[in-house]
Amino acid sequence: MDRRTFVKAGCIGSASLLVEGLDPMVRADAAPPIAPPVELHGLPGYKPSPLGMPGLFPGRVIEIRDPSVIVRNRVSQPVVSHMLEHAMKELTGEKSARAAWAKFVESRDIVGIKINPSGAPACCSSPEILREIIGSVQSIGVPARNILVYDRYSYEMDIGSYQALLPPGVRIVGIQDAFVDASGYDPNVYCAANFFGEWETRSYAASIVSQVVTKIINVPTMKDHSASGVTGCLKNLAYGTFNNVARSHRAPHSFTNPLIGLMCTVEPLRSKAVLHIMDGMRQVWHGGPLTQVQDFIDQPGILLVATDPVALDTIELEAIEKKRRERGSPSLWQHDPSTITTDNNEFFHDASKNLFFRQPGHIAAAGKLGLGVADLKQIDHRPLSA
Amino acid sequence: MMTTETAKSDPGDWPTLLKDNARTGGQGQYRTRSPEGAVWQFRTGSSVRSAPVLEDGILYVASVSGVLHAIDAVTGRSKWKFQAAGQIHSTPSLSGDRILFGCDDGKVYSLDRHAGYRLWEAPSEAEVWASPAVRGGVVFFGSADARVYAVDATSGRTRWVQELGGRIYSTIYAAEQQLYLGCGDGKVYCLGSSSGKTLWSTSTGNGIDSSPALAGDLLLIGCEDFFLYAMNASTGEVRWKYETGLGIASSPAVSGDLTVIGSKDGFLYALETQTGRLRWKTAVGEVVTAPPVIGGGVVCIQAGGTFALDSATGKVVWRAALAGAVQSVPVLAGDTIYLASLSGEVYALR
Repeated sequence: MDRRTFVKAGCIGSASLLVEGLDPMVRADAAPPIAPPVELHGLPGYKPSPLGMPGLFPGRVIEIRDPSVIVRNRVSQPVVSHMLEHAMKELTGEKSARAAWAKFVESRDIVGIKINPSGAPACCSSPEILREIIGSVQSIGVPARNILVYDRYSYEMDIGSYQALLPPGVRIVGIQDAFVDASGYDPNVYCAANFFGEWETRSYAASIVSQVVTKIINVPTMKDHSASGVTGCLKNLAYGTFNNVARSHRAPHSFTNPLIGLMCTVEPLRSKAVLHIMDGMRQVWHGGPLTQVQDFIDQPGILLVATDPVALDTIELEAIEKKRRERGSPSLWQHDPSTITTDNNEFFHDASKNLFFRQPGHIAAAGKLGLGVADLKQIDHRPLSA
Repeated sequence: MMTTETAKSDPGDWPTLLKDNARTGGQGQYRTRSPEGAVWQFRTGSSVRSAPVLEDGILYVASVSGVLHAIDAVTGRSKWKFQAAGQIHSTPSLSGDRILFGCDDGKVYSLDRHAGYRLWEAPSEAEVWASPAVRGGVVFFGSADARVYAVDATSGRTRWVQELGGRIYSTIYAAEQQLYLGCGDGKVYCLGSSSGKTLWSTSTGNGIDSSPALAGDLLLIGCEDFFLYAMNASTGEVRWKYETGLGIASSPAVSGDLTVIGSKDGFLYALETQTGRLRWKTAVGEVVTAPPVIGGGVVCIQAGGTFALDSATGKVVWRAALAGAVQSVPVLAGDTIYLASLSGEVYALR
């Protein structure tokens, strides 16, 4: 046992008592903790790319909607194909889909497609959208073997059956097999902060992001999130790239703001994430990110496409806020201690309850870091009908 | 009850996922009572996302880290282990003195099941998550490279290779002259077992990673399009289909006129095999992706925890919070039940 491991092993019992011993309901009445400083360690010497966030079209968000794309919870491949092509041409101003994709991908690229399987099977990145993205990337000349569909937890990808549903040759990669498995992470790229007295203060970036892929196409889903308010482009990239992130929440508090935005500024993640395609086939307005309760999952049949993750997440946040207002549920911004529960079952079945004080301000904070446009008045939001 | 097909098999055959339609791993259908406690616990050291199999007092468990463990079923102690060159998601199959399994390095490994040394390995060009099926001295398996392989069970030498239209995660049902499987391209295929030539194919509404069962002349298989299909095994014509609430990755377990399958909607469905009429459905977890196993009077399923249901009514007879997994299958071996978990624990319960 080395010294560091010994110290961890020796301290974990007493540290856990100190931190976990507080009743979350008591913490709900206390003043919110102040965010500690966060050290960022990107890949040394990495040259930023002009395609990196906020990318080629800052502030522009294409929203395309077609109710016929999802019928009885099944996604139509032909309708998705048409929607994605239309949206990509509108985003880029190009006349052909191929020219639109060529703005982001070259034949020599190794393309990572970052999915969100964490709510599978009820709400996760749709295989039908992934098939269209894969086909489009292949149309630029990228061979299937140079396309990787990835996320952090391989067991969640299994539940989504991505292995069976995507084209042959494409690699399906779970960065880690179990909760304690650091082998897929780069020791040179990390964020360090001590949020709640935890003994491991670093979160390392996935090696697949730092060392393997040259471009990332981000495919988040449209969901509320019990800690961060919503999970969209920024959260999917940050908490899906770095490990040891659950430590940033301790009910009812969460440091997703500012950690999500800060993580997205780390190179080479920032430069490689060139395009964001939000899967809004389904929309979770309460219970995210893991809920399987269909009462809180609508099927609007939307795709949102942008290079600017902040602008896109701002539109997503507005849409989920609107839905919650329509359903008489509290705002994502509400920080009322009486809404906090420690009962997961109550949270999953009662839209007025939550486990954390949500942090939707993480999106605007990311905007201040230069990752995109968070001011609705400055966002070029283009709703389209398919 | 065994199907006519299984009854014709040779002793060395392992024609389908977990050997028989009831998914017992060849154990037979024992009456199982509620376990009172753990007899032993074994730690594999990494996740287990496939089903254990048991023969001659040895429990074989493949862990995702690429280690196949042979565990003494009485004491829970390791007898031997074998390190493959990639991760293992494939449920092992047994054939005579051999144990076979697929690996993410693209190979199917054949080991001596008593001592754990390698007999042969058969290559493909992508990961093999399906179980190898064995029939008449030939091993059949599908690979994520979209090909079906037939290799000699003794030497591992390739007999034929047949390319299909999508990734293959479905374990083949090897009948006397035909092979049946589902494919990521959304088709159910029937191939000739001697040549690999396609005899028929039937399209569904989405990709397939469920593995088929063959009950008489009826082929049963789940699909990601939410349906359980029953097809004429000779023609591929759909006799009936039953719609669940979400996609089906689980595989049907069949015993006589009872067919049971799980859905990602969290329910276990029991249907009349010949008609598709629903007998019962029971919520067992948030998601079901593993196949159930049908024992004597009970159906067992791992769906987060482990559940035993009365096979006649669907009522939960007992449940155990142990073995949190959605990809593994209990081994029901008389007085003892063996379970493997996502976290890599293996339990013997009695």
